Amino acid sequence: MRIQVSRSGGFAGRTTAAELDTRARIDAPHVHALAREAVAGASRNRVYGVPDGYHYAITVDGRTVHCADPSLTESQRELVSLVLHQGVQLQD
Amino acid sequence: MTPLCTIIPPYLLDRLAELGDENARRSLAADTALRAARATALRAAPLPAGRPGRTVADAGHSTRLPGRTVRTEGGPPTADPAVNRAYDGLGATLALLLEVYGRRSVDGEGLPLQATVHYGEEYDNAFWDGQRMVFGDGDQVVFRDFTGCVDVIGHELTHGVVQYSAALEYRGQSGALNESLADVFGSLVKQYALGQQAADADWLIGAGLLGPGVRGVALRSLKAPGTAYDDPRLGRDPQPASMDGYLETGSDQGGVHLNSGIPNRAFYLTAVELGGAAWERAGRIWYDAMTGGALRPDADFADFARTTVAAARSRFGEGPVVEAVAGAWKQVGVPAL
Repeated sequence: MRIQVSRSGGFAGRTTAAELDTRARIDAPHVHALAREAVAGASRNRVYGVPDGYHYAITVDGRTVHCADPSLTESQRELVSLVLHQGVQLQD
Repeated sequence: MTPLCTIIPPYLLDRLAELGDENARRSLAADTALRAARATALRAAPLPAGRPGRTVADAGHSTRLPGRTVRTEGGPPTADPAVNRAYDGLGATLALLLEVYGRRSVDGEGLPLQATVHYGEEYDNAFWDGQRMVFGDGDQVVFRDFTGCVDVIGHELTHGVVQYSAALEYRGQSGALNESLADVFGSLVKQYALGQQAADADWLIGAGLLGPGVRGVALRSLKAPGTAYDDPRLGRDPQPASMDGYLETGSDQGGVHLNSGIPNRAFYLTAVELGGAAWERAGRIWYDAMTGGALRPDADFADFARTTVAAARSRFGEGPVVEAVAGAWKQVGVPAL
């Protein structure tokens, strides 16, 4: 499974994007479950967040959903953190 | 290193003083005396029904809001510098709003102010959630603690003022105006706290916020948008300084933190052209434009420029002040007449 996260906005207005490929991970089943939970029921359209809040686009196997601080679900927060910290940085 | 107190924010003086810097200690003493004198003057002035209360909470590195209350209005400082910096920053913002513009808190009606510190883990951001300001600690590599800059605190609270006044939609040009007002009054909070003239101010947002190895001076510059940083990790400050460089983009809600460089510079140019303290005339004109009721929530740059010219005319009459405002907008490529 390929998971991409793009984080934009924030006080600095920077965009950071990363991709995580779960194939080589021993915790792949956990990450897959987390990813499915994170995108289930999330908005397919861009959502406008609070001033200076981060906006996130999460793409799981080509399907993109959107969410924004501070109203992320626990699974969205965990997934976003995992991908941005452990994934491969993508050029915007 | 002599006139430290006019350039360096109090928190930085605190830090330098802790490290044993003699200049910093002296400047801090001078700065403290200045603030004490101002506080005495404020107590002597008749106040409309007391100061709005401040409450600072600690999220304990979780993302649950509001967190545990750790300091309330009038309470003693805590052992946590982030809590005290947030409390003092709220106070500095309230002081500018009340003493200069006669506004009681962000809503004009004495709304108590709430802040949460230590939000999330190594969270690289600060935001206004519609009711409170929320600060992350930064990752300590790219960003330090977001409570460290009084202009960042003033910035967040100005989003509250905008919410209760012009209510500018947070996307595209109206969003960039919302961001610019937050930067303008954030910078004025710092300038007022330090007693600086327009010509002496650094006009930076987030000076001291960048991590130790980052090549840059701050996050944004109102004086020279696009020049605040240029770093391999952070990239280059992307802000345009005039309409020639206006960025059409879908990210950052249509570039609200990017194109805000254009109206930011218009304010800077107005302030230095008028001279003296920026919060007096330039700040008053921008404040009148923000709160006067003439702006629609979807106002664009040209709408805002015309509103500032009208505000200058109604407060200062036809003449050099109006010309300074119109001239500043012309320099950044926005039609104001």
